[in-house]
Amino acid sequence: MSDASLRHAEVAIIGAGPAGMAAASRLAEAGQRPVVFDLAPSPGGQIYRQLTAPQVGEEVMGRDYLRGRAMLERFEHARLDYRPGSRVWWAQREGQGTTLGVLAGGRSELWQAKRLIVAGGAMERGWPFPGWQLPGVMQAGAGQILLKQGGLVPDAPPVLVGTGPLLYLLAWQYLRAGCPPRLILDAAPRSRYAALLRRPRATWHAGHYLLKGLGMLGALRRAGVTVKHGLEAIEAEGGARLEAVRYRLGGRWHRVGASLLLTHFGVVPEPQLGRGLGLAHDWHDGQQAFVPRRDAHSLAAEPGVWLAGDGAGIGGALNAEREGHLAALAILSAEGEAVAREAAPLDRARRRDRSARTLLEALFRVPEGWLAAQPETTLVCRCEAVSLGEINAAMAQGAAGPGQLKAFTRCGMGPCQGRLCGESVTRLLAGHLGTTPAAVGTYQVRPPLQSITLGELAAAAVPPEAERP
Amino acid sequence: MFKRLDNAALAGEVTIWLEDQPRRVPATLSAAAAVLWLDGGAGYRDHAAGGRRAPLCMMGVCHECLITVDGEPNRQGCLVPVAEGMRLERQRRSP
Amino acid sequence: MSRDFLIIGGGVVGMAVAYGLARRGRRVSVLDEHDGSLRASRGNAGLVWVQGKGLRMPRYAELSLQSSEAWPTFAEELTARTGVELEYERRGGVDLCFDAAEAEARQEEYRALYAATPALAAMRWAYLDREALREHLPGLGEAVHGGTFSPWDGQCNPLYLLRALYAACRSLGVDYRPATPVDGVEARASGFVAHTPMGDVVAPRVILAAGLGARRLAPPLGLSGEVRPVRGQILVTERLPQGGRLPSPQIRQTASGGYLIGDVLENAGFDTGVTLETLHQLGRRAVAVYPDLARARLVRSWGALRVMTPDGSPLYEASRPCPGAYNLSCHSGITLAAFHAEELAEAIDSDRLATRYGDFSGARFDVQATG
Repeated sequence: MSDASLRHAEVAIIGAGPAGMAAASRLAEAGQRPVVFDLAPSPGGQIYRQLTAPQVGEEVMGRDYLRGRAMLERFEHARLDYRPGSRVWWAQREGQGTTLGVLAGGRSELWQAKRLIVAGGAMERGWPFPGWQLPGVMQAGAGQILLKQGGLVPDAPPVLVGTGPLLYLLAWQYLRAGCPPRLILDAAPRSRYAALLRRPRATWHAGHYLLKGLGMLGALRRAGVTVKHGLEAIEAEGGARLEAVRYRLGGRWHRVGASLLLTHFGVVPEPQLGRGLGLAHDWHDGQQAFVPRRDAHSLAAEPGVWLAGDGAGIGGALNAEREGHLAALAILSAEGEAVAREAAPLDRARRRDRSARTLLEALFRVPEGWLAAQPETTLVCRCEAVSLGEINAAMAQGAAGPGQLKAFTRCGMGPCQGRLCGESVTRLLAGHLGTTPAAVGTYQVRPPLQSITLGELAAAAVPPEAERP
Repeated sequence: MFKRLDNAALAGEVTIWLEDQPRRVPATLSAAAAVLWLDGGAGYRDHAAGGRRAPLCMMGVCHECLITVDGEPNRQGCLVPVAEGMRLERQRRSP
Repeated sequence: MSRDFLIIGGGVVGMAVAYGLARRGRRVSVLDEHDGSLRASRGNAGLVWVQGKGLRMPRYAELSLQSSEAWPTFAEELTARTGVELEYERRGGVDLCFDAAEAEARQEEYRALYAATPALAAMRWAYLDREALREHLPGLGEAVHGGTFSPWDGQCNPLYLLRALYAACRSLGVDYRPATPVDGVEARASGFVAHTPMGDVVAPRVILAAGLGARRLAPPLGLSGEVRPVRGQILVTERLPQGGRLPSPQIRQTASGGYLIGDVLENAGFDTGVTLETLHQLGRRAVAVYPDLARARLVRSWGALRVMTPDGSPLYEASRPCPGAYNLSCHSGITLAAFHAEELAEAIDSDRLATRYGDFSGARFDVQATG
């Protein structure tokens, strides 16, 4: 096995969204040469996707998107080793370092990273409802990616459903692009906004977000877009593809014809890397998601591994940038540099932001009771087409944990490796067993963290045991 | 399902082959985005359990965008940028 | 007391015996550990396999053959009772050989074993070279030298087998308790008491089917519990079109289309992780056996600990100092499931385990130690 296939990195960073870019740029400016592994073909993560050559201007996207250009330019000019199209399929702690198996260009290389920053970002929550697997049903983030990537917009007014800022942001962007949505169905009851009155301090910290949101809502209303609150249930209808959307408000069902339904039920940390590394996780009630455990100040999960950005807990793009910066400072501090003065304002901003976040979490909390109440034909696992009914039957037959449920039904065994169904399984088991998501846990994650072909695996770099620390 | 904004930036275009049909697409799109734009209503691929599926997330999570790229099956189309001459074949169940 | 038997362990061994006892009208409780505990039953490849078993113990080879013959009826009954399909088939299987030396050694072993007892004369097997194998294993690669074929070998979905056993036990009134680990089992005058964090559970008779937990639970009951962990690692691919290939221990295609690649034996203590070196080796071997799999995507992998007795043959013991306590340990819980659900359950129920299956008691290890 050739030595050239065992690579060494003083610092490796997984992810090139705001957290990864901020960390990488800061370390590069300190004279280090971090290696950045990015699953995507170009930097920016989701939020700043395509920003190196934006396809749509501020008049549609708003200001926040284009703000990322400075970050991107800084990243692109920094002296670092950026590796796009990299699939980190193997990640294992070895002492304080981490061994990474990275597939790029059809070849798998083995990397020894002395220090690792995990900035893998978030994903949209998988939220099952009848017909969600039909062509014509997509997540709101997907709509936004198409908009950013190529200025693609729906060719007929879409229906937007769910809860969370992204729903309104996308609707607003579509409006400004001249294709307003037909209908927005908000799963949050109107009374939810009374939360604002009960938390004046958090409201104050969240002021910026709230004003923006109100502005968007106002524009949508003025344009005549119908917005309904208190959505109780949703169903996508159609044969080969989406044809209509059924929804329930105030106990009554309604139907509207639609060829595109965009849903958004919040974002959660993308779990594979954290779980694959064996990091400890906690169930975060506010975010309604498992969040990897890390030191609140240094952002270290374990000696040698730092977590930054939405992958470590949802905090938004600005927070991700700050955390990437802080993770870089933590590494520099570990090497003896004095960083306290630089870190202090970042910490303060994080705390303020955290306060705002708790309000947003309360405002946009997902309707937890929905899942168990869905019709039994609803697919919980899309990849393996496992329905809620099958899961209920397996639980009734004695499956008392995610592993057993997976074994009995194949739920979680498909290509997405449980990313979309994991949370659902946790919720269903918690409900069935009368316990909490924290007690139930989730699937055990094993390599490959991203799929790899047998041929690539057979040709993968694997130094002999003796050579490895 | 999707159309391109008139005032979208003038990105270059490339020619890709979708099931042996040459098509011009904006060069900034992923393979999955290109297929959705070209033929969004047809259902992106057949699912093993029956029925048609289409990409859900466009960011590498859902794995509904699986497609054969230049002869290599089951690539995630949303992670592959289009390139001049790229050949795409959608996954269809054999009759 | 409200129960006849307490079974410690809700894996494929414990549940098959619970099923057998419940069908005989016995009241059974099963105490099972957590979802995240060592669960050997979720870690195996699903072979219902005869060839090569019992090389050091012909009686075990006989048992495998017997169980394999009982499997079709066992599977049908379970499916009829529960509606769970086991994806069971017995079309034959091939254990591969990669060079002439291996092929020669294998054939010698098999000749010796299958001539050892009259019952084993029923065993059918044949060594086939690569060309001949291609009929059973289309697309076989040049790296394979040949393999031993037996029509008695087969495969099933081991997870659905477990599910069916759970469902059948439930329908027969078995009291199954998950997340109830057992700290210890004590013999008392009136029977046995299992201490758990949920309280004590008492029964006149107790059966340990606790996998590697036997090490801790068996000795205090005068049972040997001599098992150690032997790790296996398995790769699973995405679903692929059915290739019509017979199963091998090295690689088999499941009914849902994924290929299971494994057959690794490692001493790794109690670590159920996978290693890069082994995954790599398994990938290389898979592509060597079926070159067309080079494009197949690996989607999952896992490590699991076999429950391995000193000689690899099952351990079925009835306690002498504590009558009414039994220990069952084996690493072929799938193949032997039919036997466990029928004859073994019957033998335990009628307390004839020691007389009928004395060869399988822990005493054989003492003999080895002193002999």
